Parts: sequence; structure tokens; C-alpha cells
Amino acid sequence: MTIFLQATFEGLSLGAIYSLVAIGFVLIYKATDVLSFAQPALAVVGAGIISGLAVDRGVPFWLALIIGIVFTGLIGLLVERTFLRPMVGEPVFSVAILTIGIDILLRTILNKWIGIDPRYLGDPFPSFGNFGSFDVSGVTLKYLEIAALITALVLIGILGVFFKRSKYGIAMRATSFDQEAALAQGINVGRVFGLVWLIAGILAGFSGFFITGGFNTLTQASFVSALRALPAVVIGGLDSIAGAVVGSLIIGLTQGYIAYYQLPLESIVGFTLGSGFSLIAPYLVMFIILLIKPDGLFGTKEVERV
Amino acid sequence: MKKRPDLYTNYRNESSIFPTTFQKFWFGLLLVSSFAAPFILSSYWVLLITTSLLIAIASWGLNVVSGYAGQVNLGHGVFVGIGTYVSSVLGGVATTSVIGYELDMIIWLPLSGLAATLIGIILSPVSARLKGLNLGLVTLALVFIGSHFFSNLKFITGGAGLGRKAAKLTFMGIDLEAGITVGNFILEKNDFIYFFSLILCILLGLGVKNITRSKIGRAFSAIRDRDIAAEALGINLFKYKMYAFGISSFYGGIAGSLLFTLSGGVEPGSFSLLYSITFVAIVIIGGVGTVLGPLFGAFFFTMLPGIIQALLHAFGVGDAGFIFNPAEIERIVFAFFIIFFLIFEPRGMWGIWFRLRNYFKAWPFSY
Repeated sequence: MTIFLQATFEGLSLGAIYSLVAIGFVLIYKATDVLSFAQPALAVVGAGIISGLAVDRGVPFWLALIIGIVFTGLIGLLVERTFLRPMVGEPVFSVAILTIGIDILLRTILNKWIGIDPRYLGDPFPSFGNFGSFDVSGVTLKYLEIAALITALVLIGILGVFFKRSKYGIAMRATSFDQEAALAQGINVGRVFGLVWLIAGILAGFSGFFITGGFNTLTQASFVSALRALPAVVIGGLDSIAGAVVGSLIIGLTQGYIAYYQLPLESIVGFTLGSGFSLIAPYLVMFIILLIKPDGLFGTKEVERV
Repeated sequence: MKKRPDLYTNYRNESSIFPTTFQKFWFGLLLVSSFAAPFILSSYWVLLITTSLLIAIASWGLNVVSGYAGQVNLGHGVFVGIGTYVSSVLGGVATTSVIGYELDMIIWLPLSGLAATLIGIILSPVSARLKGLNLGLVTLALVFIGSHFFSNLKFITGGAGLGRKAAKLTFMGIDLEAGITVGNFILEKNDFIYFFSLILCILLGLGVKNITRSKIGRAFSAIRDRDIAAEALGINLFKYKMYAFGISSFYGGIAGSLLFTLSGGVEPGSFSLLYSITFVAIVIIGGVGTVLGPLFGAFFFTMLPGIIQALLHAFGVGDAGFIFNPAEIERIVFAFFIIFFLIFEPRGMWGIWFRLRNYFKAWPFSY
């Protein structure tokens, strides 16, 4: 039971981290019709900035965190302005491949900086002992994981209010509904595009910190963790924010449970699943769910006309 | 009639592979010079050209499924990997850690293509169920699942970080590993791989061209342009998507079987996400839905490191590079090429070639 709770907790916190990236994916996809493969790269770039400021330059951690996250948002904005604005109206797939180009670009530059050794991101509470943890009846709860859960909840709450109440939130919803109609109503669609990328970048920055924070460290392979938000988005449906959150939780829990229950599972199926199976289990789950529901769990079915 | 190369009086003429004598002449010249290449060029260039030819074959495969049939596939590298490992197992040497049967090339070459085809056909029903971006994302999953298999099936692949030796080159009982002396020339192992690649490249290239001008190719284009309309016209989507994936993975498998015999060894980490993306990028940079495009793209991609090295030497910085080392510069340039071709020339290098050709065709009239 302890193991089950532990796996559930870790899965939920992973899911919370994925949901931050996943919401970014969905926001961009809904508002601009772009599937951005650059999101994982943005996440690790954010982590890189935080690490560079907090550890290398000795900037106070909280300041470094804020600067890093804001900068990631600005990079998102810059990417939209420079590379994606000329591609408005192009086929969805071309733009998706273009974001792969951006992804390679960002990560090559970042990997150069990371080098071979893993990078630490600094410690906000040295008094708690280096990203420590506490026990609740045998279940180890890491502060970082709790922080990830709370941050995700707060950010999702803020975004919810933003979409419901604020002028730009409503403009965004209108844009995602129909870009040209929104333009005709006097909404500055270009600004909405920029804003969406800014928000997605900020979310990616947060997730980047939680993915690489503490003992996870930032390495050249860190982006693969952020990329796992992609199956989460697909499971939930590409155009549903609620779906992104649910999908992320499914992916996080799958990963958590498999990490803890792989050995018993292997003894049931009778063959070894290989090391690191928990890392590809999300993709298998996505595979199966997509075959059953091609538009994801919460995605709207596309109406096609000939 | 001879003065009007674009005037076709019958359909047979228009859909022929080389409509004009001019093209036939240049193609013939290219063929002759290609077969003479190993006798003239240094082994470094032979190696580069061989790699280009093999990557071109794999890219043609991706072009069939993505460029002609319009089914997004981000996991083409996995099929290349399957081809590589089937050839390594059948043609490689067994050691304490990996299996190998040391069979003849005439057996493992077709079998590695067919094995990849089989996997492609098994996976093709997925494309009948999904389309567009969702299909792309599932094929992305394929990359990760594939690399998981590659790094965990240690008796086949040798495991991550270690790898294994690639297939041995024995053709019709003749051992080509050591090289053969022909007159004054010593034909090395890589020269033989070059000849095999060249022959395969010609055959498979003509194959792609023939697919585009046959019923299957027209069905592919119809599916790409509008799958629902294609279905209404009586094209069996399930069947033709299966054909597309089958043909595509056959090309990938064949290319993969030879690709790693050049360096002699293969490590499972080679078939990463970036490797699969590379093929997508080559097709885009070369020209989507064209026969020549992937060939241009493959040559460009393979020559890029050399070009960058040469440029760095010209600037006098050599291997040190500016801020980035040559490998990183190469990747950055590659990323920029993906971005700029998509924004400014979606038809790729083939599009540039097309415009150049038309310019000189009409020269000195620019219209």
C-alpha cells in the first residue's frame, strides 16, 4: 500500500509537471493552429537560464527563477514573431516541421552550454536541506514534487480565470474559434498569437524548472522528459485544455506505477520489458488510446467536407 | 517537333521517364561517370557519395509515404534500423554477446528490406485509423518504442553504448571484405558497397519514378490531396495506405542494411529521434513529392559537414570553430535550412533547380 501511495504521489506530481507543458501545446494549437514541437526545447532553455544565473552567476535563486521563466516566455514570443508569423495559413504539418527546426536550433545552442556534466538549478530553501523530503506514514514526499503540484494547480486556476474574465482571454477564445471572424470583430489576432506563445513559454519555463530541479539535474537528455507531455496532449485531444490536464495525469500515473511495479508486471507477463520501460509506457498508452479514440479522450471530432 | 521539348502529342510521351533526348544523354553520362567514380575519386569522396546514395534511397522511401501518399511519418529511422539489424543478424559474425549467421549478401539484402516491409505493413492499419497530425504523433511514439527495443534486445543489437558489428560483405560466395585487385586498381570494401549502392539507387530511383506514373502513384496523390474524395472515387484507402507504408519501409530497410556496413559497426543510439527527423528534413530541403528532390537533399545533408569544414579552414579557424565546434555549427545550419526552406522555398532544392532550368530553357527571354 505504501508503494502504491508513493507511486500515485510521484505519478501525480509528474502529471502536474507534464500538464504545464501540455497546456502550452494546447493553447498554441487552439489559437494558432500550430503543433509546436519546440515546447520541450523551451522548457530546457528556461531551466538553462535559471541554472546559469543561480549557480554560475550567483544570482539569488528566486530572482533567477523569475528571470528564467520570463525569458523563456520572451523566447517563445520571439520565435512566434520571427519564424512562425510568415507561416500563418500554411499547412499544419509544414509548420509542425518548422518547429522541429526551431527545436534543433535551441537545443544545439543549449547543449553546447550544458556540456557533459549535469547542471544543478540551485536550491530555494537551503535550510530544508538540498531539495529535501519528509515522510508521511512511510511515503516519501519531496518538497519539489509538492511544489510542482501546487504550482500547477495555481497556474491552471489563474489561466482558467484569465480565459473566463479578462479581455484578452476572451479574445483568445474567439481566435481559437475562428481566426478570421475574430479579426473581423476587431480582435488583434497577431497580438493574441504573440500572447499565446508568451504564456506557453512561461508555462514551459515553469515545467523546465520542475523537470530539471533538485537532483534531477539538467542534462542534454532532459528535453526527452518534457517531450513526454506530447503523448499527454494527444491522449486528451489536441484542442482540449481539460483533456491536456487529464492526459498528463494519465501519463504521469502510468509512468509512476510502471516505475514501481515493473518487476511484478514482468513476472505476470513472463518476459522482461527492458530497462527504462516506464519512460516509453506513455507512448504505448497513447498508441492504444488513439487507436480506440482517434481524436483523443476530449478532443472535438473534426468535421470534414469534400 | 524537335524544337519544342514541352510539346507532347500523346500521353505515353508525356509520362515517359526521360521525355527528351537531352535528358537521356545527360542521364547516360551521369551513369557512366558514376560507375567510373571509384577509379578516379579518393576513398573519402567514395565514402561520402555512397552515404549520400543510401540516404537518398531511405529518403525516397519517406517521400513515397509522406510526399506522395501524404501520410505523415516521423519514425522512418526505425525502419532503417530494422533493415540494419536484420542484415547484421543474417550477415554478421556471431560473438559471445550477439547472434549472427554470416549469410551471403544475396540473402540478407532483400530480406532486410522485406523484414522492414513486413513491420511497415503491420503498422499501416494505424494510418487508416488516424490521419494528419495524430498520425505524425503516433509515428513519433514509434521512434521511442523502436529505440527501446533496439537498446534492450541485446542479443541482436549488442545493447546501448556497445553496439555490434554490421553485416559482412560476401557476395555470391566471394568475400569482398578484404578487397579485390582489378588490373592496377585495388577495389576496396567501400568501393564494392559504392557499386551496390549505385545499382540499388538507380533501380529504386527508377522504381519511385515508375510508382509516380502508375495507377498506384495516382492513387497516392489522390489520397494525399483529399482522402475522402479519393475514397469516393473508389480508391481503397486501407489498401493503398498499406502499399505506401510497405514500399516506404522497404526502401528504408534496404538503405539501412548497407548504410552501416560502411563504418562496419552499429550502435542502437544511432536511431534516435534526430535520426528520424533528419529524413523528414532531407525530404523537405530536397523537395517534397519529387523524385530528384530527396537525392539533392541527401547529397546536401551528407556533404554539409564537409562544406562547413572547408569553410572553417578557409576562415583559418580549422577544427576549433568560432564559438561552436563544427558538428554544432552543422546542426545549427541544418536547423536554419529546415526553417528557411519551409518559409521561403517550400518546394525545396528541387524548386530552385526547376526555376533555374526554366530560366535557362527560355534564355535569353526571362518569361
